[in-house]
Amino acid sequence: MNPSYGIFAVTAVALTTIAIGAFGLRFSRTTSDFYVASRSVSPIWNSSAIGGEYLSAASFLGVAGLVLAYGADMLWYPIGWTAGYLLLLVFVAAPLRRSGAYTIPDFAQVRLQSTTVRYTASLLVVGVGWLYLMPQFQGAGLTLRTVTGAPSWIGSILVAFIVVINVVSGGMRSITFVQAFQYWLKLTALLIPLFFLLHAWQNDGSPAPATDNQWLFPVYNSNSEGIYRTYSVMIATFLGTMGLPHVVVRFYTNPDGRAARRTTLIVLGLLGTFYLLPTIYGVLGRMYASDLITQGRTDAVVLELPGRMIGGTAGDLLAALLTAGAFAAFLSTSSGLTMSIAGVVGQDLVGTRFGKRFTGITALRLAAVACILVPLTLSLTAERIAVANSVTFAFALAASTFCPLLVLGIWWRGLTAKGAIAGMIGGGLCAGIAPILTIAARPQGWVGLLLEQPAAWSVPVGFALMIAVSLATRSDIPANVARTMVRLHTPERLDVDRRF
Amino acid sequence: MKEKPEPLTERVRITNPLTNASPHLQRSVEQEIDESTAIGEVYMRSLIRSQLRLALVVLFTLMLSIGIMPIIFIMFDSVTLFRVLGIPLPWWILGVVVYPFLLVLGWLYTRQAERAERDFAALVERP
Repeated sequence: MNPSYGIFAVTAVALTTIAIGAFGLRFSRTTSDFYVASRSVSPIWNSSAIGGEYLSAASFLGVAGLVLAYGADMLWYPIGWTAGYLLLLVFVAAPLRRSGAYTIPDFAQVRLQSTTVRYTASLLVVGVGWLYLMPQFQGAGLTLRTVTGAPSWIGSILVAFIVVINVVSGGMRSITFVQAFQYWLKLTALLIPLFFLLHAWQNDGSPAPATDNQWLFPVYNSNSEGIYRTYSVMIATFLGTMGLPHVVVRFYTNPDGRAARRTTLIVLGLLGTFYLLPTIYGVLGRMYASDLITQGRTDAVVLELPGRMIGGTAGDLLAALLTAGAFAAFLSTSSGLTMSIAGVVGQDLVGTRFGKRFTGITALRLAAVACILVPLTLSLTAERIAVANSVTFAFALAASTFCPLLVLGIWWRGLTAKGAIAGMIGGGLCAGIAPILTIAARPQGWVGLLLEQPAAWSVPVGFALMIAVSLATRSDIPANVARTMVRLHTPERLDVDRRF
Repeated sequence: MKEKPEPLTERVRITNPLTNASPHLQRSVEQEIDESTAIGEVYMRSLIRSQLRLALVVLFTLMLSIGIMPIIFIMFDSVTLFRVLGIPLPWWILGVVVYPFLLVLGWLYTRQAERAERDFAALVERP
């Protein structure tokens, strides 16, 4: 394909992102603007922003690639990423907003009155964030290479650079505008080419994809390994969503608990609409781009289809639109992630550090730069693994640590600081060591499967440790737990004492 | 002859001590909640329990619908082989039907959760 269209698309998205970010900067004046957009974002804006932030490279490119390569059993990923929001809605959304904290570590401290819990949670936020950022940078490199032929490191560094500019300049307020814009850009970028592609497919005589039963079958295998894998993906994605740092931080920007619920509901609709599309790309890819499987470049299927099925200038233009959407995906997800990690690290930096005094905003800016360098370096050096797969490790880690912390913290008075720490460390170690061993040692058989998809056993470990240690340290239940529960659960219109 | 009463410097009101006691104040439920009294705790626990029950109903609905799909697909070949408009039924279910289903489930939950909060507020604010 003609690289100039692709370069134009990438440049346009990058410039628009920076421009909208600068527009937001005019409104960002206070520290509260930077961290949580002063908590005044309406449900429509906020849900578009959440949708924009959440639909990452894994959704935009990864799902179609997985469907192309493996078939129906991959449909569980987008289902899990959407159903995760339903569970977030019912277990977490309103109480989390009512807790009045900025981040998960804040919530942990408010609920359990312990700074050790806070630091444990901060460390895990950074871990989950890095695991999630790495594939975004890799995807950006892959996209730029596919459309322009440039070496992959350019795309990764470009995305990292724009993200840092945005976060450093505008904070949460400008990010909200950028994210909301990018949801609609991503939906349009996937929807319009699809009409043309389906038209081309019809003109082609509506061929059926070359399929085999394994590709059509909606579970990996009908043996026990297939069942384990399917359910492990389900557990990781269903329960991991509520613990992703960039998802959670969005809830503090709602005005109240009721708005938090409505926002989540709209997000369910936005995600459901979006996820109807990548599957069709995957199936079309099966007919027109099946050679990508043998090349090991299935993540590029969305970008390659217009050139292969339509060709000419029209094909180039559509591919440019898709490239724009893909870049929007990398930018929005990495902006949100960087913002949330920087928010956590930045808050812990406020005050005197290294012989200097940091204000809230300076701390946030410094943290953003520092937090993006590690995953960028990792993405440039580590061996490439499928985008959707590495995102799954982030989900498994979040599901094994933050999911028990949030669910038990909100609904169970018996949770203690020691219990929370034990659960987060135990669950985190299980889900954190698994990807390292998988990449380093590549074990086979059942051991390999258990390490590749750890959620089905690491989530129960996290929950069990948290509950058992809390029960054993019952005397440490925070004294103000009744007041915290009032704050978390009573509707705002009631005039009750919400102080801690 | 009538004896003249001694002049009083001050009038003294003599009443039954019971009428003098501070009258029984109607305490609001908000106060009970704020002071974490036994009554306040009963109210709070009932709110939390009803919201948790609602959340668990959604969770179990999810487990019994999407959650048992893989087992149904494995156990019943007729489901996986059945085609609608030339496309196998599992693709319809997993690729299309699931999303509106999740949205409806979320909408029903939001409605019920808001109703529970309204009921609770009405109960607490009852004069």
